[in-house]
Amino acid sequence: MLRKLLKHEFRATGRIMLPLYLILLVTSFGANLSARGLLNTQYRILDVLGVLLVMAFGIAICAVCVMSMVVMVQRFYKNLLQDEGYVMLTLPVSVHQHIWSKLIVSAVWFALTLGMVILASCIVAFDIDFIKYFFQGLGELFGELRHVEAYYAINGTAIALEFVVLCFLGCCAMCLMFYAALAVGHSFANHKMAWSVAWFFIFQFAINILGSAVIIFADATGLDYFLTNYIHFGFMAGIHAAMIFMIICVVVYGAVFYGVTTFFLKKRLNLE
Amino acid sequence: MSVLECKDLCKSFGHAQALDHVSLAVEPGRIVGLLGPNGSGKTTLIKLANGLLTPSSGEITVCGMAPGRESHGLVSYLPERTSIPTWMTTTQLLDFYGDFYSDFRRDAAEEMLAHLNIQSRQRIKQMSKGTREKVQLIMVMSRAAKLYLLDEPIGGVDPATRDYILSTIIGNYDPEAAVVISTHLISDVEKVLDEVIFINQGRLVLQSSVDDIREEKGMSVDELFREVFKC
Repeated sequence: MLRKLLKHEFRATGRIMLPLYLILLVTSFGANLSARGLLNTQYRILDVLGVLLVMAFGIAICAVCVMSMVVMVQRFYKNLLQDEGYVMLTLPVSVHQHIWSKLIVSAVWFALTLGMVILASCIVAFDIDFIKYFFQGLGELFGELRHVEAYYAINGTAIALEFVVLCFLGCCAMCLMFYAALAVGHSFANHKMAWSVAWFFIFQFAINILGSAVIIFADATGLDYFLTNYIHFGFMAGIHAAMIFMIICVVVYGAVFYGVTTFFLKKRLNLE
Repeated sequence: MSVLECKDLCKSFGHAQALDHVSLAVEPGRIVGLLGPNGSGKTTLIKLANGLLTPSSGEITVCGMAPGRESHGLVSYLPERTSIPTWMTTTQLLDFYGDFYSDFRRDAAEEMLAHLNIQSRQRIKQMSKGTREKVQLIMVMSRAAKLYLLDEPIGGVDPATRDYILSTIIGNYDPEAAVVISTHLISDVEKVLDEVIFINQGRLVLQSSVDDIREEKGMSVDELFREVFKC
């Protein structure tokens, strides 16, 4: 059933995101024309056109990034908590499958948005000195890396991978925080959206307080001193430990929001 | 086994008691009118049967099981408002119902849609309110479910559409299944009902067959309703 939910979820969101990606690519070609020389002609009208094309590209990038967030929130809200909820929540699927389908689809659109922004930026810079210098710089970087010890090369790659995993899980946890705030807010009889916004800020506040509490705890109890002097964490091991600790924290708070969302959708659902 | 059964069912929203110790049973093969004035608890009962609300106390079962994922596959539910995704075309909606319900009879749905001259590429949001309600009803009645829960299926539509809706219900439900129709427009549905459940202020007032009402009380369901719920 999750596969079927995903199919319809991609169908519902793709009709918004795919045209936006197309617009982004078209504007990137326009911005590429500007960068190739449209901005430095003798004709004022062409200069103005060049500026407009670059502006359109900037606006398209913003629109794609903002819309991937809006679609993530709006799909959960409209599909499960508004009128469509009567159809969706009476399908023979579990609440877990509903949440996973929304989460997976949002994560895929976030990843695709990042990919499309990188692709569009490459198109803008294509065949211009900039891209030549960029790849030259990359070549030099890898050339230097050959001389770097395997210890640093392996650790550097691992840290980069840990960072990617952290970002991805962070996006998923952020989605779940939105879902939890909406689910809790919509369990109230009145002012559901206002309550949802209030709960979003309450969750944010709680995370900040907990984060600060962990740092103060580590400092007050001498945990950092213990880790550095007794366990003998080196520099690289320290970075790995910090990354893994942050990943665990993100997974834990994502799991808490997942639990809150499922509880409120199962036990405290209050459709209009 | 009863298709729908409530035992001492209570539901409250804060201090407001929406259902108060309701006990009833709906048997297969019956068309039951769930009748009561506005705010009597009809929609709450139907939402509880669909798992859209959880009981405060008591028990509600559908085909012997608590409302949930399994029972959703046996219940065909028509909400009181149009809830089908409006961005979909008719074909996409047929795909949607076909994907999730193994008992969905696509050919029957297509036949009814063709009868209403609804184009397969037409989006739901491009349709009039009445047409949307008919499309939603067609989807619900094209399932071979064990229990049909229809919440105000004829509320807010013109008399011609009411006739269409009632004939669609009668012509498409599985005779082995039970149909529960919630409404306060009794005179329109009376002719199709086998049984009635009167509910008022969250309490069960009466559960009886339509024939018994006519024979024992010598009045129609509409007349009895007006007498019981006289203001």
